[in-house]
Amino acid sequence: MAAEQQVQLTDLEPIQLQEVKKQLDQELDHLTTSYQQLKQAQAKFRSCLSDLGELTPSAKGKEVLVPLTSSLYVPGRLADTEMVVVDIGTGYYVRKKRSEAREHYTAKSASIQGNLETLQNTIERKQENVQTVMQVLQMKLQGGRGGGGGK
Amino acid sequence: MDPKAGAIQARLQQQSSIFQKLEGDLTEVITARQRLDSQLSENEVVLKEFTLLKPHNTVYKLVGPSLVSQDQAEARGNVEKRLEFIRAEIKRVETQLKEQEEKVGKKRGEIMALQQELQALQPSGPE
Repeated sequence: MAAEQQVQLTDLEPIQLQEVKKQLDQELDHLTTSYQQLKQAQAKFRSCLSDLGELTPSAKGKEVLVPLTSSLYVPGRLADTEMVVVDIGTGYYVRKKRSEAREHYTAKSASIQGNLETLQNTIERKQENVQTVMQVLQMKLQGGRGGGGGK
Repeated sequence: MDPKAGAIQARLQQQSSIFQKLEGDLTEVITARQRLDSQLSENEVVLKEFTLLKPHNTVYKLVGPSLVSQDQAEARGNVEKRLEFIRAEIKRVETQLKEQEEKVGKKRGEIMALQQELQALQPSGPE
């Protein structure tokens, strides 16, 4: 596969190779941004999981501060430590048992992990492609200086 | 400059600006397609979540700043309808995409033909 690609790349003119590299760089940029976003989403789910861990039956009746805005809090008491309401997306929320919520977030986090791994592989392959293009480009440029250009 | 070459040059410029506009339109359609795709997958995830619900899992819908409880079956129906709508939209945008790509391809061909015409005239220029 790599050899086949090399053959194709060496047929290209330096300007075309630069274009190819530019496009690959753009793709790589996009992929790494997506990777970051996925990482952030996963971190969010994980923090939900650890928050769920805090919510034990013994926390019942404990005083909490409920944020009404980011700067205004009112005191409240934990009346229910068994059920939580989970955001499942597109404006829908579901009341779940703690164990169900934990399953939900664990599954979310795991599915993101799968995506992250696939994405990681894609990024690595892209990086290899960029490397190859760079090498061919360098070869071309050096060869071009000596031999006075290709066909 | 050769008047013939000048005429081609002018046409080339005109066609190029049309081409750029077409390409811009194409980008817009592609963005719309991508947005629909993410909406589709998000709604699919929600629907999957709904199929796993048990009777004690009350469903709430976010209406403005408040959560309003909603019947499970009704919520599922809503999301199914939404999915239907999104799939229909994807089909529509898909045909739009094909049309737009054809337009861009055709225009690219026209521009290349004009460039060749112009190049063919060039050698006769310095003579």
